[in-house]
Amino acid sequence: MSLITEKDFGTPASVATETVTLTIDGQAVTVPAGASIMRAAGQMGTQIPKLCATDMLDAFGSCRLCLVEIEGRAGTPASCTTPVANGMVVATQTPKLAKLRKGVMELYISDHPLDCLTCAANGDCELQDMAGAVGLREVRYGYQGHNHLNAATDASNPYFTYDPAKCIVCSRCVRACEDVQGTFALTIAGRGFGSRVSPGQSELFLGSECVSCGACVQACPTATLTETKVIEIGQPEHSAITTCAYCGVGCTFKAEMRGEELVRMVPYKDGKANRGHSCVKGRFAWGYATHRERVLEPMIRASTDDPWTVVSWDEAISHTASEFRRIQAKYGKDSVGGITSSRCTNEETFLVQKLIRAAFHNNNVDTCARVCHSPTGYGLKTTFGASAGTQDFDSVEHCDVMLVMGANPTDAHPVFASRMKKRLRQGAKLIVIDPRRIDLVRSAHIRADHHLALKPGTNVAMLDAIAHVIVTEGLVNETYVRERCDLEDFQHWAAFVARPENSPEALEAVTGVAAQSVRAAARLYATGGNAAIYYGLGVTEHSQGSTTVMAIANLAMATGNIGRPGVGVNPLRGQNNVQGACDMGSFPHELSGYRHISDEGARNLFGADWGVTLDADPGLRIPNMLDAAIEGEFKGIYIQGEDILQSDPNTKHVAAGLAAMECVVVQDLFLNETANLAHVFLPGSTFLEKDGTFTNAERRIQRVRRVMSPRNGYADWEVTQMLARALGYPMDYQHPSQIMDEIARLTPSFAGVSYDRLDALGSIQWPCNETAPEGTPLMHMERFVRGLGRFVVTEYVPTDEKVGPRFPLLLTTGRILSQYNVGAQTRRTENAAWHEEDLLEIHPHDAEERGVKSGDWVKLASRAGETALRAKITDRVAPGVVYTTFHHPLTQANVITTDFSDWATNCPEYKVTAVQVSRGNGPVDWQISYAEKASRSRRIEATS
Amino acid sequence: MSQTRETLITMANQIATFFQSQGAPDLAARDTAQHIKDFWAPRMRRDLLDMIAAGEAQRLSPIASDAMHRLK
Amino acid sequence: MSQRVYIPCDMAAVAVGADQVASAITLAAHGLGRDIEIVRNGSRGAFELETLVEVDTPQGRIGYGPVDPSDVAGLVAAGLLDGAEHRLRLGSPDALPFFRRQTRLTFARAGLIDPLSLADYRAHGGLAGIEAATTLTPTQVVDLIKQSGLRGRGGAGFPTGLKWDTVAKAAAPQKYVVCNADEGDSGTFADRLLMEADPFTLIEGMAICGYAVGASLGFIYVRSEYPFAIRMLNRALEIARSGGLLGASVAGTRFAFDIEVRVGAGAYVCGEETALLESLEGKRGQVRAKPPLPAHKGLFGQPTVINNVLSLAAAPYILANGADAYRDFGVGRSRGTMPIQLAGDIANGGLFETPFGVTLGDLVDDIGGGTLSGRAVRAVQVGGPLGAYFPRELFDTPFDYEAFTERGGLIGHGGVVVFNDRVDMARQARFAMEFCAIESCGKCTPCRIGSTRGVETLDRIIAGQDRAANLAVLEDLCETMKFGSLCALGGFTPYPVMSALTHFPEDFGAQASIKAAE
Repeated sequence: MSLITEKDFGTPASVATETVTLTIDGQAVTVPAGASIMRAAGQMGTQIPKLCATDMLDAFGSCRLCLVEIEGRAGTPASCTTPVANGMVVATQTPKLAKLRKGVMELYISDHPLDCLTCAANGDCELQDMAGAVGLREVRYGYQGHNHLNAATDASNPYFTYDPAKCIVCSRCVRACEDVQGTFALTIAGRGFGSRVSPGQSELFLGSECVSCGACVQACPTATLTETKVIEIGQPEHSAITTCAYCGVGCTFKAEMRGEELVRMVPYKDGKANRGHSCVKGRFAWGYATHRERVLEPMIRASTDDPWTVVSWDEAISHTASEFRRIQAKYGKDSVGGITSSRCTNEETFLVQKLIRAAFHNNNVDTCARVCHSPTGYGLKTTFGASAGTQDFDSVEHCDVMLVMGANPTDAHPVFASRMKKRLRQGAKLIVIDPRRIDLVRSAHIRADHHLALKPGTNVAMLDAIAHVIVTEGLVNETYVRERCDLEDFQHWAAFVARPENSPEALEAVTGVAAQSVRAAARLYATGGNAAIYYGLGVTEHSQGSTTVMAIANLAMATGNIGRPGVGVNPLRGQNNVQGACDMGSFPHELSGYRHISDEGARNLFGADWGVTLDADPGLRIPNMLDAAIEGEFKGIYIQGEDILQSDPNTKHVAAGLAAMECVVVQDLFLNETANLAHVFLPGSTFLEKDGTFTNAERRIQRVRRVMSPRNGYADWEVTQMLARALGYPMDYQHPSQIMDEIARLTPSFAGVSYDRLDALGSIQWPCNETAPEGTPLMHMERFVRGLGRFVVTEYVPTDEKVGPRFPLLLTTGRILSQYNVGAQTRRTENAAWHEEDLLEIHPHDAEERGVKSGDWVKLASRAGETALRAKITDRVAPGVVYTTFHHPLTQANVITTDFSDWATNCPEYKVTAVQVSRGNGPVDWQISYAEKASRSRRIEATS
Repeated sequence: MSQTRETLITMANQIATFFQSQGAPDLAARDTAQHIKDFWAPRMRRDLLDMIAAGEAQRLSPIASDAMHRLK
Repeated sequence: MSQRVYIPCDMAAVAVGADQVASAITLAAHGLGRDIEIVRNGSRGAFELETLVEVDTPQGRIGYGPVDPSDVAGLVAAGLLDGAEHRLRLGSPDALPFFRRQTRLTFARAGLIDPLSLADYRAHGGLAGIEAATTLTPTQVVDLIKQSGLRGRGGAGFPTGLKWDTVAKAAAPQKYVVCNADEGDSGTFADRLLMEADPFTLIEGMAICGYAVGASLGFIYVRSEYPFAIRMLNRALEIARSGGLLGASVAGTRFAFDIEVRVGAGAYVCGEETALLESLEGKRGQVRAKPPLPAHKGLFGQPTVINNVLSLAAAPYILANGADAYRDFGVGRSRGTMPIQLAGDIANGGLFETPFGVTLGDLVDDIGGGTLSGRAVRAVQVGGPLGAYFPRELFDTPFDYEAFTERGGLIGHGGVVVFNDRVDMARQARFAMEFCAIESCGKCTPCRIGSTRGVETLDRIIAGQDRAANLAVLEDLCETMKFGSLCALGGFTPYPVMSALTHFPEDFGAQASIKAAE
């Protein structure tokens, strides 16, 4: 194995289709028009010296090393900023150029430490390479002149170090922060010789607006911005391409290794989802993989009051199998079930649902998508015929109007948010529908054209009002509707939304948004060119989540915004493999590829392949399992990679359900909160320790590659396989690729997928089959998957969760950039530097009424429970609305949330809870006792 | 009557409300029944039917009630 | 009708007491019971005559100057208001040789009119340009500018018509006209003088340009060191809007155009057009690589004409009098007139607008009258701090873009700074490097690091350390900066350095000429 190096062409590729032929150093070369001379030279294998140019960024022309001579042109133009032209004759190496380059390099080195041998970038430094390339032998200026050799190092960021002494002021970091990340946190302070990179107004990196995405570190050609791990460990020596295990963007990284030690994760330019960009989580927050709290040996206990006993894998597996057999014998075969993980690979997920259907002999399988995007599956299947987003991420580059609803991309999907921001800076319009003023509404060089700050729980009313404007103002794309959609359904829908009670004016009192704003936004969406809708859990996690998804689909169809680049309906998936978990048949009612369990043909296909008879009725969903447990009818559960106690709503209810079970099996990296109520703990493996695939929000199947052996001994799929065998069901996979072969065999939309194919293509967007052998970037191009697009009437039904005198405020929840989900991983990294605790955002008006100041402890209570946390006063939220995150177990926002759920899928209504906020003195009683109880539950009996 | 079983009534009513809004009264009960059949485990359907039989499902809306009758 | 008395409100005049002169005259006239109207005109551009007071008399305008506030009582007593004799009486200013020898096309109204009177402006030929332009098609206007031979007066000398043509032909929803009034060259003041003395000419020129290229908005980027000009422009813009020179209907046509003033923040490099655009966009004033040209992707990425004050202010004359009337002046490829600014140790400093072709010697010795100090002229720097130093031997060089280039110099923005025989040219070379080091935006390496190394190397040369070796290093450095720099700041700094070294080797060490160093 060796280090994967990516060629840097210096300037971005030209997208032009026409070509230009020119001569470089006597050799003819044909390249797309608009390409730089530098890129053209690179294409023919000629490396023109460069320092400020890199193909992730537009040409800048500052280093002056890439100068060339062009016949018939005066001077020595920079090859990075000069576009090619037909018949141009370029010389890249002449005595004049050699002298100039040496002269420039001599200047660079006259203000640079001569510590190459002890420098962290030794061997990975472009300045070093270029000094060699231009043949610099001497610095005649000496080293006594003005210099920056004593400039102070900034090590405030936990992940990288800024050493201004080594800075060559190429501005690559500044440009990366602006163009790639879109944060504008960096600048060049001072001018002339005093110019130096500076976060903000000469702040430290940590205290600045820097979001630690790593783009600057990636861009730096020297050791000025270097990963702290590289400084500590040294340069990596081999690498593998893999996929990030955080959010649904699915960034491709090079895991750069030294032996079995991970040195750094470097975003891969050829990654189709991230295009070489990253965020603080994927780039840096992987330290949890080797965190001391990781549990590496299986453990069992008879009662959750007992300490854990460490046992062998054999014993753990046979104990678990015998417990499940015992329970099924005693309470019936439907008394057990399992939960697949959106954090695990497709192969692992597929295997868990197979275990349940084939070895548990029931359909009691569900997945964490239940609590996030299950309404997306239902809503898009109903309207379009496919339970997935319609576009690829590249599509955003063709978008003219973005409608972002119930999503906070800059925090939750930061890498894609950067691409959105880039398009917005290019002039695309933006409509944000969200109760909270998310960063996209107003951030560096971004202003939303409309922010419809609606009351939580009124999404459907808002979308009906928008539809009303589109229909009644004659903005429907009638040609599209006539050709592509079911006309009768359309007319029925159009008549419904056109009713006066659905007008923005009539609904103003419901949504709290001025009618003229709604009208203006509707007109913009319908008439602004290519319009795309991006949405998140603020859409799905409501009692009308599925209705909202369908209302979104209606809007897209009515305006003809489905079936080409730049448009579409784009759910932003929360977890790395939430799309995959759904695809893999994790839901109790459907098999992989979204075929209903009642479909006899599909059932028989699987039955024959697996050698079992499958139950034709849907099984229990997560909340139903918990209900059944409380009823005494559900007794055993196998939970792979999910912490339902912290992540699922109404914690008391979840705890009661788990406590009522006789065998709770948790497979995870850490003793999570759910494990406090578990009887068996099976250590899990990280994405670094196994082979497999993840499927991101754009249906892109991407490889996960093992770069170190599982520290717990087994990859998760191997554990599931052992459990199946112990239950008497044979599984004999040698490698996850064989599981994928089985998936492909049984799933029409995956028919063309294999590891060989993935290696060849890099990634594949399903459907991938005979008609689409290289996958499907954009769906519903000629026709909808279901045939004609189906409009569905979406009547607004207010949630039963209502504010009143006892609970006068509405709580809504979300995610923050540096933390991820329940925080199991991110809290065990240096990301804690940015978000130590969950805070309650409250409007100054509401805070004033309650005598609450920023930083005060407040008690947050709903009819489900209460918790305490500190307040942050901000007008990001409207009066009457409060907001918090759910990353910390000691806050447990889900103590507050209720068990109301989406009518179609039971997806919990996380986003609307009526609450009261009052001043508090500190943590409430349960929080104080919880820490003690949790640590008691985590006791591990000393082994003899 | 337990809280968890009470949830079944709420869920059935929510589903019925949606299909009722689709406009065709004769189809609402049919579609509600189909949705429950497609997404509810048999145990849940059985429990709700038991509740109806025991007169514990007064809160069930007429359409949901009609739908459950079709699932007997 | 009250009698008009003209007292400049020009910054230079005010600096020598024009405001006090004005109040003193007002007071004195009141005492005499004379009904006068003080007109605060701009300066005519002969600074040693400031404060130049002019009174309307039956014999025409009679000038007195330089008037100190302490002179007023005596002057008024002597009959100033009647044009009476006095030691400060100059007679008709137009008849003074310094003015009589000029050909004022661009500065025709400077110092004559009330800068803020649109009526005065029109009475002196103003508005004829825009009125003529709007009867033509935009293409015809561009063609006229092309035919006039007008070249960029900011320094680069690029044909103005060609630039307008490129922008006119660029398709874009929004185009801009940007006026570069970041006049930072040492010894230059023509932009300031015009903006303070006749702002409507600039406004009219920009409107003509906007009409020709299809731009609806213009910006004037003025250096913050020009508070008088900024105030004057803002007031003039208000008047222009209410007077129909700007706004939704320029000169009664359907052409809409408006102008906004933007103030710089003291960086010399923001006079470089792309750095100026960055600054206008609210960013750090840093040079952009070209291409793309501002004419294609300029302000906020839109096609933009960016011209110097003097280029834009030449347009009204050309439109009003025809391309030939302008191009008939001048020599070779340098057509029309150049407002030359005489400064430094010179007797008759000031603004001298004249057709191209006048020799450097005539300018310095004849028109300028030699040094003010009376010492011998040793060197003249033409074209600002990045211009070459000319020794007496090159005084036959005609003022002409090409002629100056041939002799290793540049005319730049028309600044001429005279040095007497006490100048140390090695120090001047060091100053050039130091200026570059202070003003460098820091983007490109040759300028950012090279200028500082240049200062250090010159210090070693001046101190006599390894003179030959260091002269070789300096020469190499100048070559790296000249060919390697991104913009003219670093690229032209070698001109003053190398011209000093070439023409005045004796200042760089006793026997060490540059030849010997080799």
